[in-house]
Amino acid sequence: MNADNKILVIGGGMSGLTAALEAAEAGSQVIIAEAGPYLGGRVAQLHRYFPKLCPPTCGLEINFRRIKENPNISFYTMAEVTQVSGSAGNFDVTVKVHPRYVNDRCVACHACAEACPQWRVNDFNYGLDKTKAAYLPYDLAFPQQYVIDKSACRGDCGQKCLEACAYDAIELHMTTKTLNFNVGAVIMASGWELYDATKMDNLGFGQVANVITNMQMERLAASNGPTGGQILRTSDQQPPKRVAFVQCAGSRDENHLAYCSYICCMASLKQATYVREQDPEAEIYIFYIDIRTPGRYEQFYWKVRDDEKVHLIRGKVAKITQEPGTDNVVVVAENTATGNKQSMVFDLVVLAAGMVPSTKASPFPLPLSYTPDGFVIQELLPPGVYAVGTLKGPLDVTKSVQDGTGAALKSLIALGRRS
Amino acid sequence: MAGEILIKPDLQFVKRVMAAGGDTVKKCYQCDTCSVVCNLTPDEKPFPRKEMLQAQWGLKEVLSAPDIWLCHQCSDCTVYCPRGANPGEVLGVLRQMAIEKYATPPLLAKAVGDPKFLPLLIAFPMLLLLFLLKIMGGMGIKVGENLVHQGIAIPEGKIIFAKLFPTLAVDFIFVPAFFFAVAVLGKGVLAFWQDINAPHPWRVKVEGNLVCNLIATLKDILFHNRFRTCETTYTRATNHLFLVFGFIFLLIVTTWGFINEWVLHHDPPYFLLSPIKLLAMAGTASLLYGIWNLIKERQANAEKAGYGSYYDWFLIYVIFVVGATGLLAWLFRLMHLQILAYPTYFLHLTAVFMLFFYAPYTKLAHFVYRTAAMLHARMSGRGF
Repeated sequence: MNADNKILVIGGGMSGLTAALEAAEAGSQVIIAEAGPYLGGRVAQLHRYFPKLCPPTCGLEINFRRIKENPNISFYTMAEVTQVSGSAGNFDVTVKVHPRYVNDRCVACHACAEACPQWRVNDFNYGLDKTKAAYLPYDLAFPQQYVIDKSACRGDCGQKCLEACAYDAIELHMTTKTLNFNVGAVIMASGWELYDATKMDNLGFGQVANVITNMQMERLAASNGPTGGQILRTSDQQPPKRVAFVQCAGSRDENHLAYCSYICCMASLKQATYVREQDPEAEIYIFYIDIRTPGRYEQFYWKVRDDEKVHLIRGKVAKITQEPGTDNVVVVAENTATGNKQSMVFDLVVLAAGMVPSTKASPFPLPLSYTPDGFVIQELLPPGVYAVGTLKGPLDVTKSVQDGTGAALKSLIALGRRS
Repeated sequence: MAGEILIKPDLQFVKRVMAAGGDTVKKCYQCDTCSVVCNLTPDEKPFPRKEMLQAQWGLKEVLSAPDIWLCHQCSDCTVYCPRGANPGEVLGVLRQMAIEKYATPPLLAKAVGDPKFLPLLIAFPMLLLLFLLKIMGGMGIKVGENLVHQGIAIPEGKIIFAKLFPTLAVDFIFVPAFFFAVAVLGKGVLAFWQDINAPHPWRVKVEGNLVCNLIATLKDILFHNRFRTCETTYTRATNHLFLVFGFIFLLIVTTWGFINEWVLHHDPPYFLLSPIKLLAMAGTASLLYGIWNLIKERQANAEKAGYGSYYDWFLIYVIFVVGATGLLAWLFRLMHLQILAYPTYFLHLTAVFMLFFYAPYTKLAHFVYRTAAMLHARMSGRGF
């Protein structure tokens, strides 16, 4: 195969997987380069996702099977695209594959993790718990292969893991591999990061106990999360009776993210149902500027709104403090419908934090045009390079999948033009 | 609904707010961050969100709202505003327009807020003082042992400012100017008090003894208890307090001097270490320290809290010039530099005149309106 039939997909999340699979199933050779140690991206971290509110496995598993069955796809995890040169139909790409220290003989038996003496903060759970320095990213991770975090695994830690492994799967001297590919088109699908909630100094994240982000809420609710799917507050592991959702935590705010992050209203409404399903007594307060329910999500909003234990209060929360002497959280907001500024006490406060395009922290190795907010401008991309999903603007899973299919088609057209 | 409210938007009003420095008012999307981060607002019907809405919609009755005066422009709201709508600055503009509304004649307030009129506003007291010098020169007034007033010229011999402006002449101009300002301010604040107590849908009834509450309010103001709850511009309260005490000291000095002159018949200049002189020095130092730091602080915080309007800066510079020329005239006198001392003194009188005579029109008028608003808030149970 020559470059004309090859596509590089950067990012193995929902959009990247979709683009890769659609293109591969149409006959192209596809290489996926994923920066993390597993495929599935942010969707894998959710408890349930729109539109069907099914768990992430229901969409991801089928994709993983399609990958396994398709010889046209090869993928690399912990892979970083460091260089792209050339033009449409003929890109030279350098991919650095960082060492996992575990090879594909790994059967995910967990012996290394058990023997491992060191711990690391679990980024998959957004820091809610810790894993051993030898770890599986999450229970259904694809590939089912452990990783050793060398920065956390110091001293004789690696040796202990090595000795515990019965399958010769651990290679402590693994080094960064540099791979070169010649491809005809590049699809950027590196997705988004959650906005750093500590930057909002008035919302208390990181300072006030029991203030969490929306993504942490997903992890708390997920059955493979730190609490086994029980929503418990972080300070005392008690189920919260009163939960507040703080909308626009950073979004629509020129001091933070000037744009609407699109998904947070729906995410909070969805998470309200998580809490309500677990505890029929729990009271939910959602503080908002505007509840935005794009597309056909309006009916979901009606359903949540009509729950008598869910209270929607129009007024942005701008002050969050600890209730003196307790682990409870004081939330200050004005109910603009009544004109009263109130301090209310909650057991748990969820910040509906926004989306930041991943290119903001790690720019793509090509001179691209970005909006002032850091999103990729599709129209100004060089020919043969396509951006998908949340790189171009905040988006939900459904639309990202559609966009991935679109990008696959555009790549195929671009390849076809040159053959 | 408890009665319908007919709103009457005034587009011209919105345009004037925007022209006077509130150009960001329309950016507000009513999220309510401002009212929440504000430490000064009452919890019932908090500001400044509702004032932003009223200003946006052109509801000019906002100018008679007491809440615009409860705001001390901490700028906490401006710092946290997600839209750059600068509520702090907008309320500052509303206060400027309120001063204009209650001033007689309003035209003078407009002039104070417009840089075009600055030369005229400076020229007026200068010409007045020069005219007075000219007349006194012509009248052959005795200003010393063997000295006759020389008109527009620098007097000879030991520096005594009374040689240029005899105390009677100073009083001749400044006493009427002072009473004029008091009358205009009094008229304005009475009209304002009537407006905030007039029957309208948002009225809150006042209760209690006016005098007792006024004393409590003044005590609050004297220690800047409210002002000190500001976060972003925390130091502003302290510096403002220095300024206020500078003014109070100098007011005492002036009254004392007045009594010395007309009751005790004791002429200035006074002995350098006399109590009145020491109080004057303390007052000047406090005033200059306060205003200098306020200037510095405004510049340092400009990025976050806004630079302030020309209207603000007019007063700041007038106060600064009053303090600086007062200090310099005194120093030049002690150094026997006639050529510098007398002109500086002339400038000092010009600036003092501007401060007093224009007081009902400049930001200085805030002390009566804000006091009235805080009194109203206290008497209507709004937590002040």
